[in-house]
Parts: sequence; structure tokens; C-alpha cells
Amino acid sequence: MATTTASLAINSPDLQPGNRLTINASSLLMKTGLTEGLDIYDAGTGELTVLMSHKKLHDSLGTTDTSNWMYLANHGTDDTHYIEVGLRDTIIGRLYAGDWMFTPWNMSADTAEWSIEAEGGTQKYEYAFFKSTYVLADSAQGTINP
Amino acid sequence: MATITANISVSSNVLSYPISINNSMTMSKAGSCHGLEETSGLNSKKIESTTAFKLFGNAEATEGGASKVYIRNTGASTTDYFYVGYGEDLDKATVQTIGRLYGGNWMLIPWDAVGATTHDIYAKSSTVEPMHIEYMAFTE
Repeated sequence: MATTTASLAINSPDLQPGNRLTINASSLLMKTGLTEGLDIYDAGTGELTVLMSHKKLHDSLGTTDTSNWMYLANHGTDDTHYIEVGLRDTIIGRLYAGDWMFTPWNMSADTAEWSIEAEGGTQKYEYAFFKSTYVLADSAQGTINP
Repeated sequence: MATITANISVSSNVLSYPISINNSMTMSKAGSCHGLEETSGLNSKKIESTTAFKLFGNAEATEGGASKVYIRNTGASTTDYFYVGYGEDLDKATVQTIGRLYGGNWMLIPWDAVGATTHDIYAKSSTVEPMHIEYMAFTE
């Protein structure tokens, strides 16, 4: 069984004057409703250009309503460029240069895929998915041994 | 201008070699090196109902901005959870459910409020048993 731990620390000395902000959180990533760790993993890096337009980052080919997690980071350096992040047909938000996100993903439907689009210029990104279940996409070749 | 930093660390033995993700971001305004200045403040709620409830209204954030949202299930249950999603009623197909936060789980996501109630952020408990949720928005 895999053990995956995700920790967060948010700090600000001056967002709330007189009240230093410190948030610390840590959790084990488990399969849906169980005490067993997630054991399916996909990760990578890439480069998005504006001309590429809207691209699928990950299919929703696992079991719906399960426990899955996504990490996505924009490794660009231009403050004015961003990656638009979408889930199915919904805009979630913008990752500007240096931003990252970490979110659960329940694959609420087979069309609940993650998508990304570069705005302003070419940007490099990094992603990781930790999943409960997943089925590989069908091969365009049909059967390998007819 | 405020300075807000968020650091993530993920470690896993899901592969035959250790996985380690470490990253840090300074939360800045859209297209700027200046930090986000406003916040909802850190909120905590005890929920004893399976009715969806609003965490953040779209009017709290700037459309097209670089807002961020932090949400955590501060409980310990591995079976009960909060749905988190955009929209009003997380049971309907017109709403985008993002995912489930089981006990101890947290999330930090960008939030483009797009000036519409479709981008209000809601949560919904899976149980009528008491559960606690913690949440905070960082906006421009």
C-alpha cells in the first residue's frame, strides 16, 4: 500500500495587521472511504503555447465519485502570463507564473476532465495526479493480435 | 500590499523510487508582482446537515483575478466528507463538483469568480453527523 502525504503551510506577516497568519495542514491521501492509500500515479511536465488553445490535461477515465488528487504548477516567469484551468466546461481559475494548486477530484462524470490553456505567452507547467482508479484510454489500433 | 506565501510538500512511495513535490508561491495580484491584499479571514463552521452551503460568493473576488481559496475538512473521518464545488446545489448536473475532502484533507485552488453565481463556492456534507470545515479566501 502506498503512503502519500500532502502538507501545506500558508504564512503572512501583514495580511491581517496585528494578527500574523499561519496555517499548517497535513493529510494522508486515501482511497475513497477506506484506509488504503492511493496507488495510481501520473505526472509530467510540458509547455503550452497560446496557439495550442484549449488542451486536455487529464481524462476522467476512472470510477466516478472517487478520491483523486491533482497538483498543477505554472513554472512560467512572466507575471502577466497565466494558465487558465478548467474542469469540464467550468473555469476554475488562473495560475499565474509561479502559482500552484492542489485539489481533490472526484471524477464526477466521464466528461469531468481537467483542461488548461496558456494566456499571454508560452508557459511551462508541471502536474501530478494521485488516483483511486483509472482505465487507460482505448488504443486507436484496436486489437494488437487480430 | 501584503506578502502571503504558500508552500506545498507532497511525499509518496507509490513508485519504486520516492516521490517528492516541493513548491512555494507568493500570492500576487493578476499580472502584477504586488501581493493580494484582501481576505475573507479564516472561518470555521460546524456542519450537521447534508444541505449545500455557500463558502464564498463570487462578489467577494475580482473577475479575472488571481484569487486563491483554501478549504480543509478538519475532522478525522475516512468515510464522511465534504463535497466542494462551484454553483449552488451540488446534486445537480448544472453544477461543477470538484472533489471530496475527507477528514484532514485540504485544498488550495485559484478562483476566477467570473462575476456570476455559477462561481460561488459551495460545500456539502455527506452526513448529518457533526463535521467541521475551515476555509479562507485570498483576493485582490
